[in-house]
Amino acid sequence: MMKANPPRGALRMLSWFCPGHLYEEIEGDLIQQFSRDLKRFTKGRSRRRFYWNMIRFFRPGILLRNKPTTRLTSLDMFTNYLKVAFRVMLRNKGYSFINLFSLALGITAFAFLFLWIQNEFTYDQFHADKDRIYKAWNRVEANGKINCWDVTARVLAPTLNEEYSGVESAVSYTAWGEQHLFVRGDKRLIKTSGAYADSTFLTMFSFPLIKGDARTVFQNPQSIVITESFARELFGDEEAFGENVYIGEGGDGLSLTVTGVLKDLPHNTDFHFEYMIPYSLVEKFNGKEVYWGNNSVYTFVKLKEGVDIGSFNEQVKNIVKTHTKDNDEHEVFLYPLTKMRLYSKFENGVPSGGRIEIIRLMGILGVCLLVIACINFINLSTARAQRRSKEVAVRKVTGAFRNSLVGQFLCESILLAFGAGMLSLIAVYLGLPFFSRLINENLTLQFSNLNFWIGGISLILIVGILAGSYPALYLSAFKPVKILKGMAISTSGKSLIRSVLVVIQFGVAISLIVSVFVVQRQINYVQNRDTGYDKKNLVYQYFTGTLRKNYESYKNELLQLGAAESITKTSTPITNRWSNTDGIEWEGKDPNDKTLFERIYEDNHFATTAGLTVIRGRDMDLEKFPTDSTAAVLNEAAVKAMGFADPIGQIIKDNGIEWHVIGVVKDFILTSPFNKVEPVILFGCKQSWPFAVAHIKLSSSKSTQESIAIMADLAKKYNPDYPFEYEFVDVAYARKFANLEATRMITILASFLTILIAGLGLLGLSTYLVEVRVKEIGIRKVMGGSVLSITNMLTWASIRPILFAVLIFGPQAWFAMNWWLSSYPYRISIGIFTIPLAALTIIFLAVLITTTQTIRAAKANPVNSLRSE
Amino acid sequence: MAKEFLGEFEEIILTLVAGLQEDAYGAAIAEEIETRLKREVNLSAVHVTLYRLEDKGLIKSKFGGGTNERGGRKKRIFTITNSGLAMLKAMKEARVDLWKLVPQLQIA
Repeated sequence: MMKANPPRGALRMLSWFCPGHLYEEIEGDLIQQFSRDLKRFTKGRSRRRFYWNMIRFFRPGILLRNKPTTRLTSLDMFTNYLKVAFRVMLRNKGYSFINLFSLALGITAFAFLFLWIQNEFTYDQFHADKDRIYKAWNRVEANGKINCWDVTARVLAPTLNEEYSGVESAVSYTAWGEQHLFVRGDKRLIKTSGAYADSTFLTMFSFPLIKGDARTVFQNPQSIVITESFARELFGDEEAFGENVYIGEGGDGLSLTVTGVLKDLPHNTDFHFEYMIPYSLVEKFNGKEVYWGNNSVYTFVKLKEGVDIGSFNEQVKNIVKTHTKDNDEHEVFLYPLTKMRLYSKFENGVPSGGRIEIIRLMGILGVCLLVIACINFINLSTARAQRRSKEVAVRKVTGAFRNSLVGQFLCESILLAFGAGMLSLIAVYLGLPFFSRLINENLTLQFSNLNFWIGGISLILIVGILAGSYPALYLSAFKPVKILKGMAISTSGKSLIRSVLVVIQFGVAISLIVSVFVVQRQINYVQNRDTGYDKKNLVYQYFTGTLRKNYESYKNELLQLGAAESITKTSTPITNRWSNTDGIEWEGKDPNDKTLFERIYEDNHFATTAGLTVIRGRDMDLEKFPTDSTAAVLNEAAVKAMGFADPIGQIIKDNGIEWHVIGVVKDFILTSPFNKVEPVILFGCKQSWPFAVAHIKLSSSKSTQESIAIMADLAKKYNPDYPFEYEFVDVAYARKFANLEATRMITILASFLTILIAGLGLLGLSTYLVEVRVKEIGIRKVMGGSVLSITNMLTWASIRPILFAVLIFGPQAWFAMNWWLSSYPYRISIGIFTIPLAALTIIFLAVLITTTQTIRAAKANPVNSLRSE
Repeated sequence: MAKEFLGEFEEIILTLVAGLQEDAYGAAIAEEIETRLKREVNLSAVHVTLYRLEDKGLIKSKFGGGTNERGGRKKRIFTITNSGLAMLKAMKEARVDLWKLVPQLQIA
């Protein structure tokens, strides 16, 4: 009798396609056939016949019996995984809570930041021809540095249109917040949300019109395009299209036809206007502006298709020089619209980031939070691996492959991630309005968008796999023989990887705490900065309607009634920049000096009204010195910039007018409290056109409400058509901190979350470490160990990685915050105490968390832990 | 509903299942066909037909024991059901009816 085995390879191949429930009998029949073949044929031929017979089973009649059954078996296993996962979670409620909650926090934070970042990248990306649209910038070399700015001359756009064949259209655009009164029947509305633009603006950009044709809306200069919601505000339910609106009052105003109704602008655009008026209307009254030196409008250019931007920029570079006789060194270049929002910072003439830097930081922050949450899961599940080791061993003994165990544990982590994802979906939904307000954006969850769900589910899968893959590989590698024999795995609970992960967690935490400290101190420092003027009881009021005309009577009556102590009219509120120039001339000026001076015009007593400190000379006083109409008062920075030893009596020239310096005031903050003080010149009232604002120092003898009530009465008398509006200077000043306030809230929130997640993880880990060492603690106590020494020992074990984190990440946090601070000219120095202070905070927190567990363990009666084995 | 028909190969297999009784499984049936009918038959064809007949409810199956010859693998023993038997009978009668149409001369 020949003894030969059927070919194994053939059997294995059969197993790939043969349905499980038929496999055994088919295999048996094949083997039986083989055995009988052996009697008749040679061994080789029998084997070949075996292969051939096997391959013949690869036919639809067999294959089609496969499908439903295989799916059923894996589904069975899957439900078993789910069942076990649920049971494990329910058995350890505390740990499951920590895992679930920290993952949910991490995902929520990530989702918020992701939504924000995504929103940033959609800004002005919806324009159909966005790739051909550019914004014109000016570039000029001054004092050895190249400066770039994006306001250009009004004449640039028409010149580009006329002289450059590569240009499809070019428009000027401004939205400087000029005040307009709209009159329609009895309705009067004051709006500052207008824009001026050339006629091709609406064909260049994709702001869809509901009514009207974008190509013809501005054919007639006497026209206006308004947005849908403004139309509703002004016309109610009536049709706005084709109607007339009246702007201004009495004989001064003019009537415009609504030639287009725009759909409300989307929130993700940097264009903000509710109505748009053509430049042709302005030019009808003021004439065409052809002066290249006045840079006060934005210029947008749409190039023809196929025009290379590099060579076009080369052509357009000298456009200013060729059109002006005086030697103006401005160069013009075009910069893509798509980069306008995120990449519009230039350093020495080269693009150097911009808003994108913040966005990148936020992205890193989001990923960090997510990773920290994942680390919790990894640490807790590997630390507690011993609990699962028996299960792993039994599964392996009963025939589980390692792959299926990996699959099982991944299933568990993905299940957990799904739970966390559900929680965070709710959290994001509820928290989004607050977050939107914090960052001043309009973020929404797009439930109807398929990408939203795809993104959300893939995020959850990624988190599940990220958090679950290491524990899965770790747990599935256990050797069943060792475990079932009773050999424990790493009872000490120590693991290098776990320590490294804890170091990372707390490294991020310490960086964030440092940033909170630094941001907080910087805000305090700047908020407490001496403004140089007295914000208390100081109010400013824009000249609207007839207030400008009636200013003198208004002022006199306010003073008479005792509502105000001092009133000055100026060109600008003291909190705003209005106009600046590098063209001031004085004796001994270096011709290459391009220092910018801020201009403010005042009529009288501005130092008194605003509470500026006069350190040399005197305040303006027209009653005593009528020549003060051509006087100038400098601040210290201006004196320094001009290099005067004795500024009083010096003559300075601006726009061809000579001004004589009568006084010097202490530096005061005009624009940003984060910057160095700019040189400021206060000019007298020789010209009447610049005046637009009244500064009123309210009387200290009357209460603020009383004074405001008197102002309101008088405003009604002298300016009946316009609503009474005013602003406290301290409120306006506080607005300068809005951006930093958002940064502060985000750093506080992020570090709070990080510490919460990392702290939860630490709590879980230390609980477990104590659990594992409970016998050791018992024996130590029996041998005479004190509660203190045992607590010390246990706490130290948990704290050590955190000390490492402080040492490794502390210096990095210091560098990072130095970099952040460097963007503020007026700033704190971080100092040597910030890092140790942050370190102490976090170590204190960590000790607090761990000792709750360790003290309890150290105090426990050793009998309880030792009596059973 | 029209009456179901069996193909020639199906009929052979069904008959063999009825005939072999407790020994009706894939390899045995294939061997019977080869020895009795002198006809090459592939194992997979037998299996597929058996499963198809089972789907039609003409035969049913249960696991039988394994033998050394087949490496200890279990057999699937098929037995004919009542409807299978009825079908077989009906077919046989139909054959006989048809046979009667043939002129007897030729046999003699």
